[in-house]
Amino acid sequence: MTEPVLSARGATKTYRQGKLDVPALRGVDLEVREGEFLALVGPSGSGKTTLLNLVGALDVPTSGELSVLGKRVASLSRAERAELRLRSLGFVFQAFNLVPVLTALENVEFVLELQGIGATERHARALQVLAELGLADLAHRRPAELSGGQQQRVAVARAVAARPRLVLADEPTANLDGENAEVLMHLMRDLRDRHGMTFIFSTHDPRVVAHAVRVVTLVDGRVARDEAKPGEAPHEILPGVGKPPEAAGS
Amino acid sequence: MSVETRYAVRSVTRNARRTALSIVGIGVGVALALLMESVNRGRDELFARVGATSGVGHLRAVPAGWRAKRDVRMRLADPEGALAAARALPGVEAAAPRARAQVLLAMGTHVVPVEVAGVDAEAEARVYRFASKVAPGRWLAPGERGAVVVGQAIADRLRSEVGDEVVATAVGRGGDIESLMLRIVGVVATGSDETDLSVCAAPIADVEALTGLPGAGEVTVVLRDWRATREARALLAAALKGGDEVMTWGEINPEFEGHLQQDAATTRFVSGVILLVVLLGVASAQLAAVLERRREFAVLAALGMRGWRMVRLVVQEAVALGLAGGAVGLAVGLPLVWWISVRGLDFRSFMGASYSFQGVVFEPVLYGDVGAWIVPYALAVSLGATVLASLYPAWFAARTDPAAALRAAQ
Repeated sequence: MTEPVLSARGATKTYRQGKLDVPALRGVDLEVREGEFLALVGPSGSGKTTLLNLVGALDVPTSGELSVLGKRVASLSRAERAELRLRSLGFVFQAFNLVPVLTALENVEFVLELQGIGATERHARALQVLAELGLADLAHRRPAELSGGQQQRVAVARAVAARPRLVLADEPTANLDGENAEVLMHLMRDLRDRHGMTFIFSTHDPRVVAHAVRVVTLVDGRVARDEAKPGEAPHEILPGVGKPPEAAGS
Repeated sequence: MSVETRYAVRSVTRNARRTALSIVGIGVGVALALLMESVNRGRDELFARVGATSGVGHLRAVPAGWRAKRDVRMRLADPEGALAAARALPGVEAAAPRARAQVLLAMGTHVVPVEVAGVDAEAEARVYRFASKVAPGRWLAPGERGAVVVGQAIADRLRSEVGDEVVATAVGRGGDIESLMLRIVGVVATGSDETDLSVCAAPIADVEALTGLPGAGEVTVVLRDWRATREARALLAAALKGGDEVMTWGEINPEFEGHLQQDAATTRFVSGVILLVVLLGVASAQLAAVLERRREFAVLAALGMRGWRMVRLVVQEAVALGLAGGAVGLAVGLPLVWWISVRGLDFRSFMGASYSFQGVVFEPVLYGDVGAWIVPYALAVSLGATVLASLYPAWFAARTDPAAALRAAQ
């Protein structure tokens, strides 16, 4: 058995809205192991984003236990949670959220710079990961000069550039058309296969769910169903994207 | 250049209109601050120069105890040594000995009490600007005896003119009344009666003879750069012997220095108010920029960017804004400062041809100062104001709660 990257026991999260307490998670039990490719599904308001925020150490649970990579999120200070995100977690957002004034290359480099990696190495690594995602030719374009699918691939490059152990993606294909959604899912699977990263992504899209190896359904802030697929669906890298840099030119 | 710095610099260009307005605001503030500082420095220089060459000097060697007693009969312990030490000072323009005495000047039935300054004609002409403005008549000649130059107001009260002989009467060393006949060789009209009444210069040998007190009672020093007064004072003090002391022009004429400091404080207060207004404007614009980017800061926080790095990012944006504002300030302010340094601010139309304060006569035209200080001053003001203005927005950015900000953005 591999070590759990996520362990939740009775995790709850309640938001205060005015004088009202609004429960978003009502006691989640979940364990995710290294290398899993897990889809979080469920209707709007079921707590998917809230759970991702807790797993991403962006927020802390109101009660219960939630550990990420062996660290209890609730006991970490603000700075320690930032350090955990920086060193071990990657994020992909629904709205891409690239820095608009930086090029694709700089967006990826910036995360490596935050980790204190020197200029030459971070430049090379950022170029490598962009090439891996089929974006080498677009490295010097700013987000506004890229299509939605390209922007989301840059966002994935940014999330995985530092080789995090866990990548969290909140509705990563929600703003993409079917073809781009497919490409993105293939690329994420490929990254997971090659680098052993764990992916947890929330989605409403059944085509995306089809790529998941495990599907966890949340309803009303609780895990309603947890299905592991017996065999992983085969996937291929679409032409022109996703090839490793050494194979890109062959 | 780091990605963070590129990020900061490019962020400044996101909202071109707001950035342009901020830069213009900073530029105008910097230009006004430059102008005020230039005038301030010009006034400092004018006061120091005019005050010094009105007879006070930048420095004065005085006898021990003179500071408290201010007795004109006191004499230096080592006048020759003090004069030599003063003339050996680095940056000295001129040094002149003086021996003062309280006398009654009389012609016929007209009598005027004055303080006569016994001077070395040649040396005094280099430290006293009115020596070159004697009309009618002339300044004292080197080695001349029995001559006196008086102010116009003294000549008027004596009903005398150039060529007339006046009797100078003083109390001698032993308490006897001593008199001396002096011929008026020149009259000085400073434009101020108050100042004219203090102009009475005679050869130092005559004053020594009249008072029976040998040697100089003071050595007045004029420096090429008044800003070196403090250093020169220390050097001269170290060189004086027999308990003789050194006083600066501000100590000799504290009312004059107080007036100068009051003016400087007023100008700097106005500069401060201008800069405060600029600072609040920039702070407001930067806070708006940070609020607009709340989601972006949340994403940065999610990526693991620490609060202090966000502060640094926003401060770098402020630095970029400050540099641009400083450049605009220099572009606008330099021509203005240059113009004022060449043409001057002319107050003659409502103050007359001259203005007198504490016995010091000014020509009321104020020239601004131009110097190497301008660029660092402009940059210090613009960067200081913008960086200070950015601290609250930067702190605000650093406190972004990523989960709440991302939730709010959805």
